[in-house]
Amino acid sequence: MTIMPRLEDLEDKSFDPFLVEKLSTGDCPDPYPRIHELREQGSVVEASYRKQFTDVPDVQMGHLPQVMVLGYDAVMKVLTQPEIFTNKEAFENNLGKSFGNTITVMDAPIHTRYRKIFQKAFLPQVVAKWGESVVDPVVNRLMEKFIDRGEADLIEEFTHHYPFQVIYAQVELEPSQAPVFHKLAIAQILSSIGAPQGPEASTKLGKFFGELLVEKRKNPGPDLISHLATVEADGERLPDDVLISFLRQLMNAGGDTTFRGTSVLLTGLLTHPEQLAAVTADRSLIPQAIDEALRWEGPVTSTFRYAAQDTEIDGHPIKKGTIINTVLASANRDPAKFENPDKFDIFRSRGTRHLAFASGPHLCIGQHLARVEMTRALGAILDKLPNLRLDPDKPPPAIKGHLLRVPEHLWVKFDR
Amino acid sequence: MKKWMCMNCGWIYEQELGDPEGEIAPGTAWEDIPDDWKCPDCGSLKAEFEMVEI
Repeated sequence: MTIMPRLEDLEDKSFDPFLVEKLSTGDCPDPYPRIHELREQGSVVEASYRKQFTDVPDVQMGHLPQVMVLGYDAVMKVLTQPEIFTNKEAFENNLGKSFGNTITVMDAPIHTRYRKIFQKAFLPQVVAKWGESVVDPVVNRLMEKFIDRGEADLIEEFTHHYPFQVIYAQVELEPSQAPVFHKLAIAQILSSIGAPQGPEASTKLGKFFGELLVEKRKNPGPDLISHLATVEADGERLPDDVLISFLRQLMNAGGDTTFRGTSVLLTGLLTHPEQLAAVTADRSLIPQAIDEALRWEGPVTSTFRYAAQDTEIDGHPIKKGTIINTVLASANRDPAKFENPDKFDIFRSRGTRHLAFASGPHLCIGQHLARVEMTRALGAILDKLPNLRLDPDKPPPAIKGHLLRVPEHLWVKFDR
Repeated sequence: MKKWMCMNCGWIYEQELGDPEGEIAPGTAWEDIPDDWKCPDCGSLKAEFEMVEI
């Protein structure tokens, strides 16, 4: 039996990382008018994406030369030319500080080697099995708490918890440790604004995962952590620092983004009741509803790459050493690719791929798990909350944030 | 059911859909796809695909 290590809370118990994170990602109600305005200036604009929306300084990247890449084709070019637009220098001073030596901070050939080992644990046929065994119990447990009430805040009572609880189930974390785990997972990304709690949280999560790996190697089970702790490729195990860094990132990449993606999916459907009715009547529409939500309001609006050589994008010269703000949200609303791009429309043509999961070698490793989670969550909501609708006595949902998007509340009513 | 899957990202080749953006017409058999064709999601080469049970 696994002896679960104890997680250590932050020294300053009063520090609220959730509040600080909200402040750092901003409460911009709608960045898209500005994004469209910028794209109309050209597919490459010399400035930082973050500075368009906030005065909160980026202590790690703010001093570097930056451009924004905004057109769909230009964004695609950056994401699919990893030999020119690299990850290591783009992320070592931000995500690298928060998570450590994660695959996001690597380039080929080392990235290719480790990525394949991690991806194996998250291939579609693997994560499909987790739908029933891991996701459904979490979803049902959370819904039981409000199902008899006829009303709920689906953010506070559901989406803000379920993807994290799926991860806790994979880690086999006891419920008593969950609040500290969630707090540290959010606190670790605050290194980007210089909060001392950022590195403190990274260290404490690293210690926990290090001890957990020792335990899992002594008593391996069928769970994800045991698999990663013991998996070998070409006779070699994943190094501990790479594995621990990946697990740190899993909380944010796998928990936080799915929380946001599901919240946006529910918001899109609830604010377009005719589309909600269509999905309720025909569950085969769920995959296209998920893709449209991710295109319309992808959880992560912009990511980084680094120009490793002098180059150009659409004829715009780019100097070696420039940080490329690759604005996924702009690509996903490029009118050259998506008709009426600001409209949420689950029936739109799916001919052009959205870039919410990015593209190229660093494509989101957890996209298949995210789809399983969102499918299960939406399916359960449609099954168990009949006549689901926005609560007319509460404010309508408002998606906020310039970098990471989510509504704070989603008040609904349903028949009991 | 067995399908060809990219082992770097999990993208699955569906013969009836092909990959029009990658100039692979719908209905193209896996064997007829050129070796320098790339996975439309992650850019891996055809050689990175394996036949898997879905």
